[in-house]
Amino acid sequence: MVDDPDARVGADAAHLETCSECKANFQVIADDARAVATLLAVPDPRIDVDGAFARVMREPKAQPALGLRLPIFRPARRPALALVAALATAAVVVVAFAAGGFFFQPTKVQAVPITLSDLQALSQLADYGTFNWTKEPQFQISPTAPEGDLQPPVVSKLPAGVSTTVTYGQMSQAVATFKFSAEKAAAAAAAQGKSLPKMPANMDGATLTITVGPAVGEVYGNLEQPSGASGNDINLPQLIVAKSISPTVTATQVSVTEIEDYIVQLPGISDELKKTIGAIGDPTKTLFIPVPVEYGTSKAVNVQGVDGVALGDNTGVGSAVVWIKGGHVWVVAGSIKQSDALDIANNLK
Amino acid sequence: MGLNLGARRLTAVRTDEEAFEALFTAEYARVVRIANRVLADPHEAEDVAQEVFVDFHRLHSATAQYGPAWLHRAAAHASLNRLRGSRRRQKRELAQALDEGDKMLDPQKQAELEEDRRRLRQALGRMAPKPAAVLVLRASGLSYAEVAQALGVGIGQIGTLLRRAEATLRKEVTRGTSE
Repeated sequence: MVDDPDARVGADAAHLETCSECKANFQVIADDARAVATLLAVPDPRIDVDGAFARVMREPKAQPALGLRLPIFRPARRPALALVAALATAAVVVVAFAAGGFFFQPTKVQAVPITLSDLQALSQLADYGTFNWTKEPQFQISPTAPEGDLQPPVVSKLPAGVSTTVTYGQMSQAVATFKFSAEKAAAAAAAQGKSLPKMPANMDGATLTITVGPAVGEVYGNLEQPSGASGNDINLPQLIVAKSISPTVTATQVSVTEIEDYIVQLPGISDELKKTIGAIGDPTKTLFIPVPVEYGTSKAVNVQGVDGVALGDNTGVGSAVVWIKGGHVWVVAGSIKQSDALDIANNLK
Repeated sequence: MGLNLGARRLTAVRTDEEAFEALFTAEYARVVRIANRVLADPHEAEDVAQEVFVDFHRLHSATAQYGPAWLHRAAAHASLNRLRGSRRRQKRELAQALDEGDKMLDPQKQAELEEDRRRLRQALGRMAPKPAAVLVLRASGLSYAEVAQALGVGIGQIGTLLRRAEATLRKEVTRGTSE
């Protein structure tokens, strides 16, 4: 109210004029605001926008990670974005990594810290073959819980401040294939002036078949356009919970070990990631969640009696918990405290 | 392919690179000002802004409508993180340029103001991320609606968060002064 003229109208303003107690409180608040504003005052910086833009565009790190940018769904589908993000959280990381060559039929999750250099190295893999949807995912959004065998998770208790407005959504099962090609790999490397380790003969032409979903989820928060917003604006969701049938990846011709060995030889893969890959026991049972070390933190947690991963970005304003139980991948994510995310996860039904 | 749905329509409007340039032009100054508000160091603020835009460009589509809100939040948190982590900050603050109003003060009062500013930023670095970000974004000229959008909170919470943050900070500075 102190610095918001719109708030000083109507009955509140009239009350303030006559109530000495409120007037005194208002004065204290106004004094605090003024004092803090004075102390936060800084000279206006001189800004060279054009020069800054040129610097940013020269920055190699500005390239898209894994060849994808979010949102992967464009404006026409934006209302579905938050839900899609939720439902596909597990699926996307799996596909992203599966494009790098891991097999999955996971029963547990594990965070894998990766560097930007790793991301860039792994993103090259998308050019080493051909990706195709055998069955594209279909998305449905509704204000009521969907019917069907796969029911959305039920949140027992929402943290304070999280909207009770719920949007439900589901994603159909999707199947995609990735076919390795030694020729495409060589051409992609040559285009970047790099030399690659020779692709094992049996890897050339090998096909990974990735199956994700179906998945269901809920988004808490008012996703409607804020009043006065432009046509495409939406509010960001506060909380997302979702579960998906565990993804599977099968392959022809090539073994997990051969793909692992190939990946660790790629230029740009860090020693840390090599060690992590080397330490993996049975990769067919673990869902790997890549966590960029520069931007995110992760820790192993126990969720509903099984191993899970808690993720949080370095800003401290967002967190997520991922785990696998009963043949499903479960995700709780939102702009909430990690302790709240864990609490929701442990009480999710 | 599913991931490219709608891309053709989008291309008709403008490419992602053009959209990024437009977003950069529209928001860069504001992002620098947010960071500068926290760090009181224009050069470091530009570093933060560059970092924030690089991250955004790498991970998000410039046509995303949440772009400005994301940038504002990232600027606040990235600069607050630097504030918490930087030991060089205190030295920089002492060398901080004064605004016109400060030049009217006598040396004693000027020194006190500088000390209060140093304490305020120390306290800002100790605050919980959300109230600190609300304060910084509002002080940087964002409207209540923009602050709410950036932090994903209801607009009705902004006033309360601001008031509490201001009261906390002022107490910290006053306590420091009276010690």
